[in-house]
Amino acid sequence: MLPAVTFKGVTKHFGPTLAVNDISFEIRPGRVHALMGENGAGKSTLMKILAGVHQPDAGKIAIAGRQVCFANPSQALAAGVSTVFQELSLLPNLSITENMFLGKEIMGRFGSPHRAEMAQRTKEALSELGMSLDPNTLVSELSIAQRQFVEIAHGIKADAQVFILDEPTAALNAADVQVLNARIEKLKAKGKAIVYISHRMDEIFAICDDVTIMKDGAHVATQSLSDLTPERLITLMVGRELNDLFPDRARDLGPVRLSCQDLRLTPEASPLSFDLHSGEILGLAGLEGQGQSEIVRSMIGQYAANSGKVRIGSQTVLLPVTASAGVRNMQQLSLGFVPEDRKEEGLLLGAAIRENIGIGLQSARPGFKPLAKVADVTRRIMADLNIKAGSSTTPVGTLSGGNQQKVLLGRYLASDMDILIIEEPTRGVDIGAKVEIYRLLRELAQRGMAILVLSRETVELIGLCDRLLVVHDRKIVSELAGAEASEHNILNAALTS
Amino acid sequence: MHRRKINRFFGKNSRQGNWWAALLIIIATILLLLVKSDDFATPQNASNLLAQAMPLIIVAIGQMIVIILAGMDLSVGSVMSLTTAILALDGSPYALIPLVFLAAICVGLVNGVAIVKLNVHPIIATLSTQFIVLGIAQLLRPVAGGSVPDFVVTIVTGSVLGVPAPVFWGIVIVGLGWKIVHGSRFGLHLFAIGGGNASGQLDTAHNFGLKDERNIVLAYVISAGFAALAGLFIAGRIASGDPSVGSQFALDSITAVAIGGTQLSGGVGGLHGTIIGAILMSLLANGMNLANLSAFLQGAIKGVILLLVVGLQSRKKMGL
Repeated sequence: MLPAVTFKGVTKHFGPTLAVNDISFEIRPGRVHALMGENGAGKSTLMKILAGVHQPDAGKIAIAGRQVCFANPSQALAAGVSTVFQELSLLPNLSITENMFLGKEIMGRFGSPHRAEMAQRTKEALSELGMSLDPNTLVSELSIAQRQFVEIAHGIKADAQVFILDEPTAALNAADVQVLNARIEKLKAKGKAIVYISHRMDEIFAICDDVTIMKDGAHVATQSLSDLTPERLITLMVGRELNDLFPDRARDLGPVRLSCQDLRLTPEASPLSFDLHSGEILGLAGLEGQGQSEIVRSMIGQYAANSGKVRIGSQTVLLPVTASAGVRNMQQLSLGFVPEDRKEEGLLLGAAIRENIGIGLQSARPGFKPLAKVADVTRRIMADLNIKAGSSTTPVGTLSGGNQQKVLLGRYLASDMDILIIEEPTRGVDIGAKVEIYRLLRELAQRGMAILVLSRETVELIGLCDRLLVVHDRKIVSELAGAEASEHNILNAALTS
Repeated sequence: MHRRKINRFFGKNSRQGNWWAALLIIIATILLLLVKSDDFATPQNASNLLAQAMPLIIVAIGQMIVIILAGMDLSVGSVMSLTTAILALDGSPYALIPLVFLAAICVGLVNGVAIVKLNVHPIIATLSTQFIVLGIAQLLRPVAGGSVPDFVVTIVTGSVLGVPAPVFWGIVIVGLGWKIVHGSRFGLHLFAIGGGNASGQLDTAHNFGLKDERNIVLAYVISAGFAALAGLFIAGRIASGDPSVGSQFALDSITAVAIGGTQLSGGVGGLHGTIIGAILMSLLANGMNLANLSAFLQGAIKGVILLLVVGLQSRKKMGL
């Protein structure tokens, strides 16, 4: 059988940097092919070449044995390559049908688009994915998950043979991930080739058949996943063992910094209490959506808890607090909150690194007395955190995920916070940056900061935290020491509660 | 499902924008005028009202096309003035009318190319051509005067196929506008490009393989073309050339478009809303004239209505 895609010596430069260096491998039909590597390893660039966004400087690409050369994404789609990019590429003010046929409308009489025909074909493509959406629904009314399925349906409609999914689960919850996986299986059964890019190890092993690993633009290995273990895969990616990812745990804990007492998220929920010590990294673990994020969000006023109180030092904050006062009050009690969705909730993507770091300091000051020394502070933070950027005036939106996350952390560092609450500290961040962020958090803890971490990645919580609280059904069902925790006993604690 | 259809009809969660607030005010104004004014429901006033509304409706359709693209055309008023100035030149109507449209196409091309190729902001690009075109119109005809060929007067004020000319041309031009905006591939691509702009996905339309630059230039040409049509209409009514006749139309057309629910951020809007907006503006002017309100007060009331109507549009719930 012919390979679905053959790369042969594909090379791409951006100015002086070599983004993709002489890559050759094959993707077979009816297989899910994982593409792994750190951010900047060149996997997104390679996929953009396949999708027609970029053109290679050298090398050949063949689709089902036929050599191709795409000038733009719509040509790639016509040749059977469909892409679901990380950045959404549907227009919100158009309907599903209009998005699917944009630029390739079926025309009826008198030069009018043939709406009924297009709606019918859209419906068919959607139903192949088991979706019964009205094809005339505007994309703005769809959830993120639905939008991704619409993009996949876009490929089905075009009779694509190759589907590229670039971090499709980054914005999905667990239930939607299940649905997505089921649909990937369906495509696979039909003999389509699927390229799957993700940073989540468990997903890769759950749904992929083959893997290609890239490092610094070059090809490291292509092999069947059944021959690999997660540890071996990480070693191939970074040249390090999994244990080396995480720094040592805390030896001894300081006094209690934050004490959450009798928190009830809903009137029916049983109260929960926990303490957070200076020098400690505490994790909230458990299945997804069991109330972990509501617990931290109720402390900063973004979730209206029923009742409870938070004691920080000598101050007591009664819950619920209002959203407008929450973050500001907590900042005055030197508690920083790093939200999960750094692009939406955390950073000003168009603004410079300096402004993003300085804003934490500035917001604590009177409006007409801004701090003048932001440049110095920024320089220090950038050096401390090893933020890789041209200068402190580089817009944050142009940085890699890892560097963006470090800028966000830098904001709280600049403000000398005692307590840090972090949601998903390494979301969408490559392994190299993950290691740096883990080390950084541990250093902060060693300096006496108290850190509360939420993460969907259980491995990360186990490796990073000193103590884990297992949350299930809006209560704390178990407490485990980090050194004793395993994925197995966390799940066990959650499910047998 | 049912609810969604109802919402969409009223412009909620739709790409058409909210036009019902403007329609409510139209109905209220008509009721008020029917009760309060004896002169309102007369054939003479209806004919006046229609003749007042037509140029605004025509120019607003062109304006809407560029606003859907997240653009704006401030040069439409000057194009209207230039049109009347050209038509009042000595010459055959069969030479002057093509010349009018040739001039409009040139203005549209300059606007479009400046925006697309030189990356000038639409407001600045069309503000510049507004000055340039007005200057040319004033050079041709420094003060109002001259006379427009009879042919132009007849086609605008007479009757066509037994239908009063304003009604006939109104139906033709609105039909043309509908075809462009809602019944063609170009129209759909307008929404796509404007929507990409409004949602910060500037490359999306391009990634779909749309010829975005060509479409933008074409939109400005169409806008100038509609402005020339509106100028033709006015020239026929006043039967002379007047370099200041279009001065109000740039902002009035933007007002009508905004009142009709079209979003200045791009990607949301529709023909029926724009027509409703233009009718509301004309109806208000007509009503306030009948009520003998001072021109200064009329301006202030127009501003209040604009703020009120757009405020009632619940913009957040719309397509973007």
